[in-house]
Amino acid sequence: MRRRVLTAVAIAAALTTTVAACGGGPGGGGGKITDDKIVLGVLNDQSGVYSELSGKNSVTAVEMAVEDFKAKYGDDAITKNIEVVTADHQNKPDVANTKAQELYDRQKADVILDVPTSSAALAVAGQAAAKKKLHINVTAATTELTGAKCNKYTFHWAYDTYMLANGTGTSVTEAGAKDWYIVYPDYAFGQDMQKSFTEAIQKTGGQVITADPTPFPNDDFSTFLLKAPTLSPTPSVIGTMHAGGDLVNLVKQYNEFGLREKGVDLSVGLMFITDIHSLGVEAFAGTTFTDAWYWNADADNRAWADRFQAKTGTRPSFAHAGNYSAALQYLEAAQRAGTDNADDVVKALEGFAFNDVFAANGQVRAEDHRMIHDSYLAKVKSPDQVTEDWDYEEIVETIPAAEAFRPAAESGCQF
Amino acid sequence: MILSRLAGRPVLLAAGLITVLALPWLIYPPVAMDVLCWALFAVALDVLLGFTGLLSFGHAAFWGTAAYAAGLLAIHYSLPFPLAVLGAALAAAVLAVPIGFLSVRRTGIYFAMVTLAFAQMVYFLANQWSGLTGGENGLQGIPRELFGLDLSDPFFFYYYGLPLVLVGLWAAWRIVRSPFGRVLTAIRDNPARARALGYPVDRYKLLAFVLSAGLSGLAGGLYAISHGFASLQEVNWTTSGKVVIMVVLGGIGTLWGPGLGSLIMVQLNDFLSTAGFDGIDLVTGGVLILIVLLFRRGMWGTVVDLLARRAARRAEARAKAKAPAAEEPVPSGSA
Repeated sequence: MRRRVLTAVAIAAALTTTVAACGGGPGGGGGKITDDKIVLGVLNDQSGVYSELSGKNSVTAVEMAVEDFKAKYGDDAITKNIEVVTADHQNKPDVANTKAQELYDRQKADVILDVPTSSAALAVAGQAAAKKKLHINVTAATTELTGAKCNKYTFHWAYDTYMLANGTGTSVTEAGAKDWYIVYPDYAFGQDMQKSFTEAIQKTGGQVITADPTPFPNDDFSTFLLKAPTLSPTPSVIGTMHAGGDLVNLVKQYNEFGLREKGVDLSVGLMFITDIHSLGVEAFAGTTFTDAWYWNADADNRAWADRFQAKTGTRPSFAHAGNYSAALQYLEAAQRAGTDNADDVVKALEGFAFNDVFAANGQVRAEDHRMIHDSYLAKVKSPDQVTEDWDYEEIVETIPAAEAFRPAAESGCQF
Repeated sequence: MILSRLAGRPVLLAAGLITVLALPWLIYPPVAMDVLCWALFAVALDVLLGFTGLLSFGHAAFWGTAAYAAGLLAIHYSLPFPLAVLGAALAAAVLAVPIGFLSVRRTGIYFAMVTLAFAQMVYFLANQWSGLTGGENGLQGIPRELFGLDLSDPFFFYYYGLPLVLVGLWAAWRIVRSPFGRVLTAIRDNPARARALGYPVDRYKLLAFVLSAGLSGLAGGLYAISHGFASLQEVNWTTSGKVVIMVVLGGIGTLWGPGLGSLIMVQLNDFLSTAGFDGIDLVTGGVLILIVLLFRRGMWGTVVDLLARRAARRAEARAKAKAPAAEEPVPSGSA
């Protein structure tokens, strides 16, 4: 009998101590810097579909920002004790939600950076508001973050659906492609993009001949692609709002049907340089899309990209540079505020105008916490134009910060 | 043997209760809450899988529907959270009636496929009906409401949510131990014989399906309230798979084993996401393979099995020892 009791207790104890660590005490008060350190948390996908375009290399980018901040201020820095902590949310919003709490509460993160996947991003934004700590989102696309679901502690840094659709829709139409055929995946992201694209195209004097939703996920786009040349008038460009594996399939089939030779161009709503790299530049050659940043656009970008490559062995995507910028500007704001107190840092960020390697003519809008910056219409080079690895893009046009993003008045954000 | 079983049960029960009560002291409270919800979900699935012999591969439909239902009830009607969760459980049970009615006519792989198909339909609906569910942004900002109490601290919220889970676990135990549960086991082991004995087999299966879905809904509703949002992840087929894995890990047909399985899975996942290791699925998959190869009855099942075997051996030895010396007094109540 006694042994049985002991066994039961032992089992119970073994169950509960698999990974045990008790809650930390309350945060140290008094000083200007809580816990005597600033902690930057990077929460993103490190094992799934977004691990290439952001992932662990974004942690490296954030560490570079810390390095640069320390080098710039030396002994005048608000603190020399700056930590970078990270967690993998696996693109699961529930994991993101729990990890965000853990980062804020236990690891004492003052800010959480990155967070791809819109549902995860919105969950983390909710935690930021509840814990009164900062969240600077870099890789989620949803405009909800600076729209209906905005809050005082959340900022949106690199891009969003409006910026992508508006940039490509406006610029390509202005360049003469007036007749569009849009195919979009039938879920909220695709629908948002389709709406924004259509508005941008019509505003610029173009027309959307028709817009077709496709199932999601989808392998076979032949029905939609074969339909394109039969439309009247013949569309000058197909706008696709697909991403990831769907985009790869669509582009492959677009090439197989030889639509470009038939005079139907391709514009992509959302694309990362890592997408081009994985499928090969010849598949995407001639495709236009809006990019938030390109590593080889000028000497400064290139210098930074060289540093990045030395550490990671790869060229940076705009998400990597965006994370660097977000981390650097957070630290700069804390330096200006003289504290890591969230409310003071938010004040220091609001309305702040700056330039860094990522953001040209950057400004953090106080009204909705959208960081606006110059964006770029990029065209994928043809293979014979490529002179080195990752040299895939040609910047066709710079879209000024003020025009690139949704006007604050339309955001519907109220703090 | 019987004596020791009777004596062992309260001890085990007490150990279980202490574990459950102490959980948020030992692991991070929001994670503890996740463990609780997944444990109830896994136990609910075990009612169907272990005791009725039906492998549902679409239980995410009930967990997810309940998550959205709880969220919508809490957002639009500001119900106190226990009511929202109970409403969500009801919604899941109601959804299970037509799905179960059509599915229970099949068994084995066909049943699994049919339930998966229905779950995918629910996923599709949740994805398309973004006005209601928020699409892939998820249904965000679900409030935790209970007569104006402050429930924001996950540590205390654990104890507010715990009674709901305990009620669910108790219900599962009652279902399995009731005459109804015995009939389910009979149907699992020999459906033809159960039918020959006059039991309406399909109706029993349907009821088991609905009850299991309702309990899954209880768990899913609480999960949504605990996280403050419901997302497509909840209705995704991977959720159905995850809960099946928990049941297998813990031990099919052991009722409490799946709870253990969920503790391990949730903890493992939580640990790996900060461990800086890329292959999370590789590890969880490896653990599953190991368990299946080494512990065919799952962790709980193997332990129970070992204990039972040892008790049997000892009883046998005692019986042998007793035979030549029958006049010796019987040792009192021990094992």
